Amino acid sequence: MSLAISFDKVSKRYGNKEILCNLSFCINTQDIVGLLGPSGIGKTTILKLIAGLEKPTSGKIDIVSKKISYVFQEPRLFPWKTTLQNVMLPLEAAGFSKKEAIEKAKDSLFSMGLFDFIDYYPSKLSGGMRQRVSLARALSMEPDTLLLDEPFSALDTKMKDSLVEILKGRLNENPITVLYVSHFPQEVKKIANKIFTISNKDSFTETII
Amino acid sequence: MLLLVGWQILSLNMHEIVLASPIQATTALWEMIQTPYYFEHFLVTLKRVSIGILIGGFAGFFLGIVAGLNRDIKCLLEPLRWLTMSVPPVVVVVLAMLWFGMGSTMAIFLISVLVAPTIYINTARGIEMVDKDLVEVAKVYKFSPLTILKDVYTPAIAAPLSAAIVLGTCQAARVVVMAELLGANEGVGYAIGFTRSNLEIPQLFAWILTTLFIVAIFEFILFRPIQNYFVRWKE
Repeated sequence: MSLAISFDKVSKRYGNKEILCNLSFCINTQDIVGLLGPSGIGKTTILKLIAGLEKPTSGKIDIVSKKISYVFQEPRLFPWKTTLQNVMLPLEAAGFSKKEAIEKAKDSLFSMGLFDFIDYYPSKLSGGMRQRVSLARALSMEPDTLLLDEPFSALDTKMKDSLVEILKGRLNENPITVLYVSHFPQEVKKIANKIFTISNKDSFTETII
Repeated sequence: MLLLVGWQILSLNMHEIVLASPIQATTALWEMIQTPYYFEHFLVTLKRVSIGILIGGFAGFFLGIVAGLNRDIKCLLEPLRWLTMSVPPVVVVVLAMLWFGMGSTMAIFLISVLVAPTIYINTARGIEMVDKDLVEVAKVYKFSPLTILKDVYTPAIAAPLSAAIVLGTCQAARVVVMAELLGANEGVGYAIGFTRSNLEIPQLFAWILTTLFIVAIFEFILFRPIQNYFVRWKE
């Protein structure tokens, strides 16, 4: 397996507050890595650095992946777009024609059990449905790296288990590199083949499952 | 309806040289509509307001976007914004007449200068208040600047912007009629001045109704449907 993501002595500072300090690690392609650790330790910062939403204060980050999808803790859907349009928008931005975008978006929403809700605005959907749309949006892009930032934390156990199963199925069909941030080891273990447990800003322990 | 009843009651209690009744005004309007003279002046004002709103609206929108995204540019534009919003409209009318004479250029300049700051301030504030989480989504999925503007910023600021455009249009129509009244040789304002000089009170009120009609065209036929389209997701 080749290298997908590498952090080389990466530090990140917000003002006077240092979040990450000389952190180094490597993730191979098709690794499914669970990132565990207490709140405020820098898990989300790591995902944002990988997604390019933040720049490191120092150190080097190498990302081989060209297509990255990100499922945030909140669904982050555009309220003025319907379910279908929310999934289509990144596809069109990626260069797919409108026809292709519609097809891919419909397929992805169908796999999430949302086909009957494609014309609904997010305000008309439940929290779980909105997060499924967010997941459908991320997976429809057919990314080579998927970043999941506590995506199911606001959902009830039943919904959470159902989405974890859907995700697991998709990853079995199309193996990709995944970084899955969570507070819950049991949830992560259902999907991940490696777990990074961050205990402080400059080190972590790696567990192979 | 209440306004009409109030107007009718008032007209019954006042001399017809001061206040025409609604029936007199609408009768005069009906007679005027059948003459080319009416449409000549009506269309001149409509054209002036349309072009002025278009220029002022685009300038305000463009500068508002730039200022909303860049604090330095906002600071640079702030004195100009303050100046254009603080100078009384009548002063702008006088200056516009001095610089551009009495024609359409003066009226269009006037409307643009009065509309642009309202649109600018609402656009800039709207852009600043756009949900940063959604902007992050756009960055993750590498939306082009045009897509971000079209699909993220514009729908997010559409509601306050539509309200600002309606406000600006009402203000523009009022001021352009005033400017035409003070010193133009065509347009609704000129016609109001003319009928006032000849003491044609029903015709004067017919022209006032025409001014309201011009505002109504913009507000109810043009901007309200656009506003409803942009905020349909809120229903």
